[in-house]
Amino acid sequence: MNLPSKVPTIPIDGCISYEDWLKGRRHRREISQLVSPGIIRRESSSKDRRLKALYHGERGLPFTPTEKL
Amino acid sequence: MDAENIKSALADITAEQDPTIKSLKLASLCSTLWGEQGVELVVVGGSAIEILTEGAYASGDLDLCHVNRATLPIRQRQEIMGQLGGKGGPRNWRVAGMYVDVLGPVESFARTPFRRIRGPYGEVLVMKAEDLLVERVLVSVYPGENPVARKCARDLAGLALDGAVSMNWEEVLWVANLPEYRNVKECKTLVNEVAHELALKSPYDSD
Repeated sequence: MNLPSKVPTIPIDGCISYEDWLKGRRHRREISQLVSPGIIRRESSSKDRRLKALYHGERGLPFTPTEKL
Repeated sequence: MDAENIKSALADITAEQDPTIKSLKLASLCSTLWGEQGVELVVVGGSAIEILTEGAYASGDLDLCHVNRATLPIRQRQEIMGQLGGKGGPRNWRVAGMYVDVLGPVESFARTPFRRIRGPYGEVLVMKAEDLLVERVLVSVYPGENPVARKCARDLAGLALDGAVSMNWEEVLWVANLPEYRNVKECKTLVNEVAHELALKSPYDSD
């Protein structure tokens, strides 16, 4: 039996509040980084032209660093 | 939602610099306005995975589908997105400093509910974690190795094993066993692998 999560769970039934979703962000990022480290934003897609025009050559806004979540 | 509230929401979303919060807020606003016209929207694809995992994966666009079979007539879509100052259409718009795509009816097999987040401007439906996991496992292997899809699948599995995201593990196998996927073995292998790395019990351990 695994232990309950340390943060509010995104449930199957019911609704998680925005505040609880925000509270869990850092933990979710930490687990994601643990199982597959690094930022893996796709390098290209069919939407590149419009994305790179909007985001100054990038494919989206920069991700907030884990320590600031 | 009245014009004053829309204006204030748009100012907030436009100023938002965190890509995941920006997506969630915009999904919340769009869902409310489309919902007022009887169409339920759901966040799908990379945007859904990002909201569930914080995996630093999604690009700067928001992919939405409609839960109802029928969408809105083009004119009505343009009017709603026009209320948001949206540019373009009739299936994708530039709104509040990002792109929104409304792709059509959602493709979902799992019998579990969409995940729900009470967003700042109304409730947001997010694609079912079971569908997302099975789909990403498939894409990670077929037609060839895909490391980005594999990261997404591993993130989802890790967070579900941790308990931060609820997952119906039996439903995962039910979906994976459908003719559309036929990847039960690959799903079990990936979940077991992540569980062992995290020193957690896997729902698919044989003992």
